[in-house]
Amino acid sequence: MSAVKTDSNQSYWAGVKRQFRKKKVALFSFYIACMLGLVALLAPFLANEKPIVCKYEGNIYFPVFKQIGVDFGMGKFPQELLNVKWKKLNYDFAIWPPVPYLPLNQDDNNTQSVSPFAEQNVPSAKWKHWFGTDELGRDVLSGMIHGTRIAFTVGIVSMFIATILGILFGSLAGFFGDENFRMSRGRMWLNILFFFIAIFYAYGTRSYILSDALSESFAGFLLQMLISIFIFIAVMGIANLIALPLKKIPYLKQHVGFPMDMTISRSMEILVCIPTFFLILLVLATVKKPNIYIIMVIIGLTSWTGIARYIRAELLKVRSLEYIEAAQSLGFSKARILLKHAIPNALSPVLIAIAFGIASAILIESSLSFLGFGSGDTVTWGALLSSARQSSQAWWLAIFPGFAIFITVTVFNLIGDGLTDAMDPRLKS
Amino acid sequence: MLTYVLKRVLFFVPTIFAISLLTFILMSSAPGDPAELMLNRAVGGDGGQASDKLAGDKAYNMLRKRLGLDLPLFYFSFSNLASADSLHKISKIDHRKTLDRLTNDYGNWKEIEAYYHSAKKLELTILDIPKDSSTTSALITLRNAVNNLYLSPNDKVIRSSFAEMEQQVGKNSQLAAASPALNATVDAYETVRQSPTTWKNYIPAVHLNGTKNQYHRWLLGDAPWFSASDDKMLSKGFVRGDFGTSYFAKRPVSTLVWESIGYTMTISLIAILITYLISIPLGVFTAVKKGTTIDQTLSTGLFVLYSMPSFWIGTMMIIFLGGGDFLDWFPPTGVADVDADDPFFTRLSMQAAHLTMPLICWTYGSFAYLSRQMRGGMLGVLRQDYIRTARSKGLNESAVVWKHAFRNSLLPVITIFSSVFPAMIGGSVVLEYIFTIPGMGGLGFHSVLRRDYPVVLTVTMFSTILTLVGYLISDILYAVVDPRISYSKK
Repeated sequence: MSAVKTDSNQSYWAGVKRQFRKKKVALFSFYIACMLGLVALLAPFLANEKPIVCKYEGNIYFPVFKQIGVDFGMGKFPQELLNVKWKKLNYDFAIWPPVPYLPLNQDDNNTQSVSPFAEQNVPSAKWKHWFGTDELGRDVLSGMIHGTRIAFTVGIVSMFIATILGILFGSLAGFFGDENFRMSRGRMWLNILFFFIAIFYAYGTRSYILSDALSESFAGFLLQMLISIFIFIAVMGIANLIALPLKKIPYLKQHVGFPMDMTISRSMEILVCIPTFFLILLVLATVKKPNIYIIMVIIGLTSWTGIARYIRAELLKVRSLEYIEAAQSLGFSKARILLKHAIPNALSPVLIAIAFGIASAILIESSLSFLGFGSGDTVTWGALLSSARQSSQAWWLAIFPGFAIFITVTVFNLIGDGLTDAMDPRLKS
Repeated sequence: MLTYVLKRVLFFVPTIFAISLLTFILMSSAPGDPAELMLNRAVGGDGGQASDKLAGDKAYNMLRKRLGLDLPLFYFSFSNLASADSLHKISKIDHRKTLDRLTNDYGNWKEIEAYYHSAKKLELTILDIPKDSSTTSALITLRNAVNNLYLSPNDKVIRSSFAEMEQQVGKNSQLAAASPALNATVDAYETVRQSPTTWKNYIPAVHLNGTKNQYHRWLLGDAPWFSASDDKMLSKGFVRGDFGTSYFAKRPVSTLVWESIGYTMTISLIAILITYLISIPLGVFTAVKKGTTIDQTLSTGLFVLYSMPSFWIGTMMIIFLGGGDFLDWFPPTGVADVDADDPFFTRLSMQAAHLTMPLICWTYGSFAYLSRQMRGGMLGVLRQDYIRTARSKGLNESAVVWKHAFRNSLLPVITIFSSVFPAMIGGSVVLEYIFTIPGMGGLGFHSVLRRDYPVVLTVTMFSTILTLVGYLISDILYAVVDPRISYSKK
């Protein structure tokens, strides 16, 4: 319990929240986004060919839960349920998911793109393919439900990467500008030199160790990556230790400014000159077998410039404000001022950029899978939509997945729009 | 103004240089061997006699030389003391990978190179052994074993290949000819194993390659600058207009690019024109009618339009309007196959029919976006004091809007121009794919898939330059629209 009770109506975020709530459309979109997120989260329970609960040969099972456990490496299916055709079993009772199909498994009775309105070869209405099937007899609705999962993962993961990179580079550029990142000349030269040496020891000499670890397991790769990062930090630390005695030499002792803003801004300008979609294609070409996770990372790596620009502009404004000066005169370290005082106040426009960024990441990913990138072991909206090109009479393959993309993109755009208005001080009533 | 433009154009140079470097690095780190693709042959394919194999290798090496792939990548390379300075001379990409791995494991490039050459000798000896009924299967085993040597840096695999070969050679007297070469290879491998210098891996080193490298050859060329040269092997380089030869189409990249840039530019320009013609009046209209039902309907409609993925609309149009099982209003492809002898208007109407659907897809998204921007800009201006002044002195509404507010509200729309332009080039990838238009986007996309690097590099460079020009134009337009913005004085 804090002694001083802050009036929640006074805080900035409370104000933004209040403004946002006033925008009916944005609020409505927010609820829809939450619902879609729920669908993504619960996808295995909404569309699965295993029953959620069943009683089989006297025992009660929870196959969907069990499968999730098995996927995480905990437990195994009992012998009598291993490699069974779940639909053919004789249950005492069973509660099925609303859509009793998995997106990649084929229904051999309904191949060759069966329309939702056509007569389907199914035992009862419960097994109906509500959104039809594709060429191979895969259920479209199930694909759409599991596709929601992919779309949300793409949006969140790629924006997470983009946000971290954007905040890092944007804040470095905006807070330090061209003059404020100062250190002794000797230290700077050593840091630049040792940067390359650190890369050499951390990644150059360890490239095979890293790639071997990646081919074995992801956890092992993460461990090796951590070791690499540790080596990198250690080498940079050595550089700064060596810099200490060098301070005795007057020429090297002089403080010089590193043109942080110019370096970062120029690099961003260069990156922006390549059309984004083309840049992504270029990076994708360097990967042997692009899968959905690599695509997420690439989208993240190529879309941070927008966020960085926002943060930079905001920090350029913030850093000349009085409270930063106050913090400086109190003798706080640069890192503390940047992390605790400057960045939190520059974050609000980033929220807008993230909302729009999620929309565009989902759009980019679906156009990539529409073009046929990504592996065949995941069903995405874009891939479903592209299968409409092969069987042109199958309108349901075009309408439903495309509509899902459209709704998701619209919803996130509307949220971004609402946030923009809610954070605009001119519109405050 | 002129000095400003000149200065900007000068700034293009480092940007283009940096982008060319970035693209080049990305392309050269992509997997796959272009020369291999061009010759359409599998790695380690079953050659017949040693002479055939030699001829095949020779053709392959010639091709690599012609493409400049035998050169080191860049002016210098940053690696370690152990790393091979002549690795780029090894032609096969898979072999290079194996040798690189061996160098990493043992750190003695000289010995490894000797081992590689003895393995090559062994292969040739095996190929020279006459085939007959008693040797055929043994020869195939031997050849596969040698191939394993090329492809695997793994000690176990290498040793088992050796053991297999020794067993085969020992069994069949006709294969004894291969014995000395095999022994030499085994010895060379043992030397590699016994004299490791792994410490060299931990000493950073910079290798200088001079101007004889792939990047220099691609950008500036290796042909002499001021005298004519008939040598077909030499490249003139990108800056002198020699974009190289497509690996896939086997034609000069410049022809391919000229063929496709026409389509993209025509469609983009028409699309930009339509976009601006619709969106500016629409934006002004909705801003003036702010708050009315018609404004709300239009604004919502525009927002919905803006969020509609164009590849979805494109696919739906083809299915429902493109003469499938539904309506047959427009042809589903974007470019008509017109006969040059037809009268002009026949050709025009044919092209127009083909272009209708692509143009709708190209424009609706950006005009929705632009209208929203225009509306926002107009609203911002209409709120200002001088507009109130203009109104209060009794000017009629249309004069206020078009004479006083319009020019100032154009600023945001111009900013967009710089992003509409590149977006049309980049975004065209998917649309050109849907409507099978042979434009820049499609060319770039297919070239990326086919690892056709010269085309990819050229397309990237062209779109970059177009983007830069787009930025420049929008900056100039700024100054034209807003007299307060001046680039000439500080």
